[in-house]
Amino acid sequence: MDIPIIDFHTHTPAWDHASWLAGAAFTPADFTAFLDSAGIRAAVVLSHDGLFHATPEANDRLAEFVAADPDRMVGFGTVNARYPGAAEEMERCFGTLGIRGLKIHPWLQGVSMHEPSLDPIAEVVAAHGGSVLCHDGTPPYATATQIAAFARRHPTVPVVLGHAGLHDTWREAIAAVTETANLYICLCGVPPYAGRHIIDRCPPERVLFGSDAGLSDQVGQAYAVARAHEITRWGVDDTTLRRVLYDNPRDLLGGWPQ
Amino acid sequence: MTISGARVVDAHVRVGECREAALPLHTLLATMDRLGIDAALISPPERCIAYHNAEGNALTTGAAAASGGRLYAYAVANPWRGTDALAELDRARSAGAVALAVDPVLQGFDLHDGLLDPLLRKACDWRWPVYVRTGTPPTALPLPLASLARRHPDVTFIMGRSGATDFWIDAIPALRYAPNLLADTSYAPWDTVLSGFGADPSVGPERVVFSTDAPYTVPEVELERILDWPLPAADRARVLGENLTRLLP
Repeated sequence: MDIPIIDFHTHTPAWDHASWLAGAAFTPADFTAFLDSAGIRAAVVLSHDGLFHATPEANDRLAEFVAADPDRMVGFGTVNARYPGAAEEMERCFGTLGIRGLKIHPWLQGVSMHEPSLDPIAEVVAAHGGSVLCHDGTPPYATATQIAAFARRHPTVPVVLGHAGLHDTWREAIAAVTETANLYICLCGVPPYAGRHIIDRCPPERVLFGSDAGLSDQVGQAYAVARAHEITRWGVDDTTLRRVLYDNPRDLLGGWPQ
Repeated sequence: MTISGARVVDAHVRVGECREAALPLHTLLATMDRLGIDAALISPPERCIAYHNAEGNALTTGAAAASGGRLYAYAVANPWRGTDALAELDRARSAGAVALAVDPVLQGFDLHDGLLDPLLRKACDWRWPVYVRTGTPPTALPLPLASLARRHPDVTFIMGRSGATDFWIDAIPALRYAPNLLADTSYAPWDTVLSGFGADPSVGPERVVFSTDAPYTVPEVELERILDWPLPAADRARVLGENLTRLLP
């Protein structure tokens, strides 16, 4: 089986602001070497520092990181919805930095998906045809149905459940995706038995894969390599697997990579 | 796959039909043969943990008795059943059970509501290890389990799943707080979570037990992760089986 992979959930190194959950330092070249070792054609690279301290500088550094190989990496920046100028910073991310989406981590950033301050930011994402990827699977701020409610407020914005409900809320995630037309689900950190059920039950065009690379204490991202290999051993047929690993993320990213 | 010199014991699998996964006994034994797993502790399917306790204990103890020493039985009893739960544990022990498995979510109780304590006193008397699945807020988390473990210092607790996934952040603080608590390797990447266990001076490989948590996982991936973890051979042998073997009859 030789299916190219677009990994929809990876992270930059934590450069400045992560006092824990940081992992090893690595360069863009290290990262593309990891992609090669895992058989990953291209990756959505999410902010890491910005989840701890959402500054414009964090988005600058993310943009600089992915610009090292724009054929293999696109960036999703972040803002904190409570910070003054958050929508303007989101506008700068799309208009100046070439960022393709917004990453939200409600429990790290302390933001509820019901806060109205998220709405003008989502409107910027909509205006640029971008997507939102949100950490999920963790009460009380990051459940699938909370994120689905946000998605329904912004029906033109594709919203991705970044972890498919993890171990405890994946059944809820299936329900949320099934009833919310612009909600996608990323198999990232979900146990294999749950992943198989998600693939069986969710709309087939809205299932994605992610490794969560970037958090390892090894430059080579050992666990992410293992996850990319593991999904091919879940017992999913090749046609379905190709949709999840390549066709669906490529469609969501507007045909990228070429 | 070869594991030179190490006795491999899987600390937790669930046999039978769960809601979205299943593990027939013949599949478990074939997988153990293929992967070089010498022994496994078996728990019954979810419905038997929650409600049909006697059926579950008959399944696990029967399978263990017929396994030639390869399978060890967990006993289950929903703590809400009170004295009936204690009688069920007595029956399971007579049939060969060697450990207690607890799931506060499936069984619907709080680790600190007192319901479990009489069962833990039995486990203490019998020197049974107690497996508690963790990871699910609010009732199945590492730190409340650590507090419970401190109240029962003569019982060895296995922190099933070690808080996977987001409550991995609580696993080391829990292990530091309760010295009679062991970590479980299932789902845990070696290059983040397990390396943290290994490096922490109050935890270390001697407090980590290998588990596949089949049928929810790909068992070979769970084992490969332990083999990939750069450990001295003696420490790997502890994780793969020695630590758990000390708790078994």
